[in-house]
Amino acid sequence: MHSKKAKFVSRNGRALLMLIVVVSACKREQRQFDPPPTTTNPAIVQSELQPGGAPQPQTSTKSPVEENANALSDGKRLFSLYNCTGCHANGGGAIGPALMDETWIYGSDPASIHSTIVEGRPNGMPSFRGKISDYQVWELSAYVRSLSGQLRKDVAPGRSDDMNVHRSEQRVERKTPQQSTIPKAAEQP
Amino acid sequence: MTEITGTAGVPPASRNASTEVTAKPSNSAFHEVGRDGRDPSEDEREIKELERVWACPPGIYGWFTDTDHKAIALRYVVTAFVFFLFGGIEALLMRIQLARPESHFLSPDLYNQVFTVHGTTMMFLFAVPIMTAVGIYLVPLMVGTRDVAFPRLNNYGYFVYLIGGILLYVSFFLNTGPDAGWFAYVPLSGPGYSPGKRVDIWAQMISFTEISALSGAVVVIGTVFKMRAPGMSLHRLPLFVWAQLVTSFMIIFAMPAVMLASSLLASDRLIDTHFFNPAEGGDAILYQHMFWFFGHPEVYIIFIPALGFVSSIVITFSRRRIFGYTAMVLSLIATAFLGFGLWVHHMFATPLPQLGQSFFTAASMMIAIPSGVQIFCWIATMWGAKLNIKTPLLFVLGFVAIFVLGGLTGVMLASVPLDLQIHDTFFVVAHLHYVLIGGAVFPLFGAFYFWFPKWTGRMLSERLGKWNFWLMFIGFNLVFFPMHQLGLKGMPRRVYTYLPETGWASLNLLASLGALVLGIGVLIFIVNFFWARRFGAVAGPNPWGADTLEWSLTSPPPAYNFQRIPVVEGRNALWDQSTEAPVVVGLSSTKRETLVSSVVDAVPELRYELPGPSIWPLLLALATAETFIVGIFTPWAFLVGAVLTFAVFVGWFFGNPNYENVDAKQPPDETNFASEDLRAEEA
Repeated sequence: MHSKKAKFVSRNGRALLMLIVVVSACKREQRQFDPPPTTTNPAIVQSELQPGGAPQPQTSTKSPVEENANALSDGKRLFSLYNCTGCHANGGGAIGPALMDETWIYGSDPASIHSTIVEGRPNGMPSFRGKISDYQVWELSAYVRSLSGQLRKDVAPGRSDDMNVHRSEQRVERKTPQQSTIPKAAEQP
Repeated sequence: MTEITGTAGVPPASRNASTEVTAKPSNSAFHEVGRDGRDPSEDEREIKELERVWACPPGIYGWFTDTDHKAIALRYVVTAFVFFLFGGIEALLMRIQLARPESHFLSPDLYNQVFTVHGTTMMFLFAVPIMTAVGIYLVPLMVGTRDVAFPRLNNYGYFVYLIGGILLYVSFFLNTGPDAGWFAYVPLSGPGYSPGKRVDIWAQMISFTEISALSGAVVVIGTVFKMRAPGMSLHRLPLFVWAQLVTSFMIIFAMPAVMLASSLLASDRLIDTHFFNPAEGGDAILYQHMFWFFGHPEVYIIFIPALGFVSSIVITFSRRRIFGYTAMVLSLIATAFLGFGLWVHHMFATPLPQLGQSFFTAASMMIAIPSGVQIFCWIATMWGAKLNIKTPLLFVLGFVAIFVLGGLTGVMLASVPLDLQIHDTFFVVAHLHYVLIGGAVFPLFGAFYFWFPKWTGRMLSERLGKWNFWLMFIGFNLVFFPMHQLGLKGMPRRVYTYLPETGWASLNLLASLGALVLGIGVLIFIVNFFWARRFGAVAGPNPWGADTLEWSLTSPPPAYNFQRIPVVEGRNALWDQSTEAPVVVGLSSTKRETLVSSVVDAVPELRYELPGPSIWPLLLALATAETFIVGIFTPWAFLVGAVLTFAVFVGWFFGNPNYENVDAKQPPDETNFASEDLRAEEA
């Protein structure tokens, strides 16, 4: 009787342990405090990217931070610290395009946004190559994606501690990304 | 009404003519017969019946449904003690980290989690629950009744607490341990600076433990006010029970504040509310007020039950009545009242008006008066008495020494200029451990040694007990006394490491060595526990010659506690008992029946059938768990939880109302007895 009970407990204990291991696979809470530095002397690279419907370069690079709440929170802070807000406002767009809508000119996947930040884009978007670390670029691109609800809600940041102009990133509705042609304003004369 | 019969004249409770009870010939065998005049075979039959009626259902199902307050309380004690060990291990990890400068034993992130989980565990999962737990075990025994007032609520409280504790530790092992300190100040704990779900886990864990504490408090108040044995008027209530009663009232007034704070924090984090966002009209200081309106009384919620332990132990081991009973009771109540009026002394570093500073300084210093009164009353009780120096008393003496030191630094911290200087330094860490370990853990260990024989039937080893005490006492002072000095030298709390040039290294090393000694002391207690379970001397009903009613029972007491509820004849129930030992007769032994008495004078009012084992408390606990745990991720959980809870309530209240306890063979007038009385009362 007693050993049966012990067996029952140990079997259930093992099941519980398995469950814990499975659940612990989630990356949401990992925190990376010393991301690897970017090379200080980057080679000059020519962009192969085309706006509009042109085929996008096939990158196999996967964002390392899309499931990581801490990185997104950092991304949110960097978004103002690096003055992304200067052109994109709080995601609603000003002289730069809006980031919280469904329209994407240069692709909505993490790798495309990453290269948008690194390479820069015609008509205003500067290149940040060599200016900020690669890890921070990933953090920023993940945050940009969270602005239109592309990320999991339990990872996306909550409201800001200041005047809030839109719903927090964890509460925005997910917008289906649509590839846009080049905007009129950005066309060459 | 229930009759009270004693062979020696009229018992105290029925001296009042208006409460004179008429004998109802319900159970003629027991009518007008005292304890000594009973037929032994009748006695045996009655005990057999009681054992059957009060038995816990077998197996795991029984474990989940049992309502016996003693079983639940022991589970509480063991669970809380396990959490105490977890918290202790975290403390040791921190001490290893701080033992030398620039150590990399723990990463800063892990260190943040460790100190937060340590504080949260010790405050919410150990200190408050274990005090309630000891109360839940002893209060019904001390007031002379068969179970607590709301046995199923009691069971529910335990499961909610257990789930909350498991939630915290499972998430800690998943790297989701809260990391914003045990009081989780905004904005650090807010959505902007605490990403992920770590602080949400903290906030919901608070909700679990608060609900459990509130259940415990309601149970204790109900039991103390309405279920006392005849003769135990309020001025004869043991000081232990007074302490539990006062604590329970404090819990009821303090806990809602922190639940509000943690719920508002959770909603700020999850659904974009702005309670603590100054930019949108919220207030970050509001959080501190709400937290400390609970947080300071909580110190007394932990400390006042410990005063109850101390009184019990002092009375027993001085073999004297307490000096200044009335002063003791009034000090307990005064402490409880004042305890609510000084929370702001935790916030002297926030901008406060001058008047506020003066008021809260004065209030903080004033609370030293009732504490001092009690210390002096104990000293007066022990003064000149032939002390029976056993381990429980050693722990009490250790408590007096440590607590006085903690109280002195408390008075220092109450003065604003000094507080501003040493705010958030190790001085505060030293102070709070002196009052909490000195004020609560030492009396608690004394209580373990004191009541262990009652709980298990065996004595803990005195020899190991002395080792345990001295190692803990020396270890404790080695850890925490240097921290005063460290704080004055400017070492801030919650830093994960420090530079060698600061000159803090040697004192920190000393503290870490002390932590090792303290840890060995606790380890010896565990060894003693397992040794005593197997080899301890058999205790018998009253090994210490103590005075309260639980010592009149076998060790451990039977499931029904009292075969016949005693009539109390004095403040020290067993010492004042006359040789005739009058008892209450006429309570049914064929159902879970006990006596309900009046609030002040404990005059018997009616017989009341207590509910028995039920699965609904567990289901309600699970519904609560769904609400709070899933509520970390989506607010819809509250809607689902409301429906689930309502469904469980329907089952609980309108399902089978406890018919399993009623014996079908019982004559109808007997089974309807309690309800008739109820009707009479209403009319």
